[in-house]
Amino acid sequence: MGKTRVRNNIRKLRFEHGEMTQQQLAEHVGVTRQTIVAIEKEKYSPSLEAAFLIADAFAEPLENVFSFER
Amino acid sequence: MDMTFQEKSAWGLLIGIGLVSFFYFPAAFDIADSAPHPSALIGISIAGVIALIVIEATYHAVIAGSSGSDGSMDERDAMIDMRSERNSGYVLAVGLFWLVGHIVATHSLAETEPVGALTVAVWILFVLTASEVAKLIFQIWDYRAEA
Repeated sequence: MGKTRVRNNIRKLRFEHGEMTQQQLAEHVGVTRQTIVAIEKEKYSPSLEAAFLIADAFAEPLENVFSFER
Repeated sequence: MDMTFQEKSAWGLLIGIGLVSFFYFPAAFDIADSAPHPSALIGISIAGVIALIVIEATYHAVIAGSSGSDGSMDERDAMIDMRSERNSGYVLAVGLFWLVGHIVATHSLAETEPVGALTVAVWILFVLTASEVAKLIFQIWDYRAEA
């Protein structure tokens, strides 16, 4: 399975938010750590709800976290 | 390998079902071909089910204890489960169509012996098992592809 067309800045944002761990982010979103890994590697596109929760974890608007590659 | 509880569970089910099937189906087909009465299969079927339950209960207790997971699915697990369920449906359909064709062919050809009812029952169980195995393989494939 290749990369999805949904790009994200999660890795950078985690670093900027006190080196937030993938586990901490996973707990905030309510998914497994492995799902966060798959999203971060752009191999899995999260649901809209999960995407909003990820953006919420960084207190950022959705478009600062995710973008779509046409 | 970095695996979720659901992926570990799929591996355990795949190995457990594979192991039990490896011993069960050759013996069951032998019995079905030689014994005309369904009761001949009862002993081996009970043994197969008990073996599978013991293997899976032990394995899942171990992985639940080590990962601390309650076994609930997140959205990615659910998506992978749906995709693999859909794909295993194709395996089930192909297997059942093949079986129907096989039964019709053996009943139509004068020189071949028609398939017995007990053998058909074992074939149906085999096709159902094959589709479950296919589902687990599709699941593991998806988990590894996204890891």
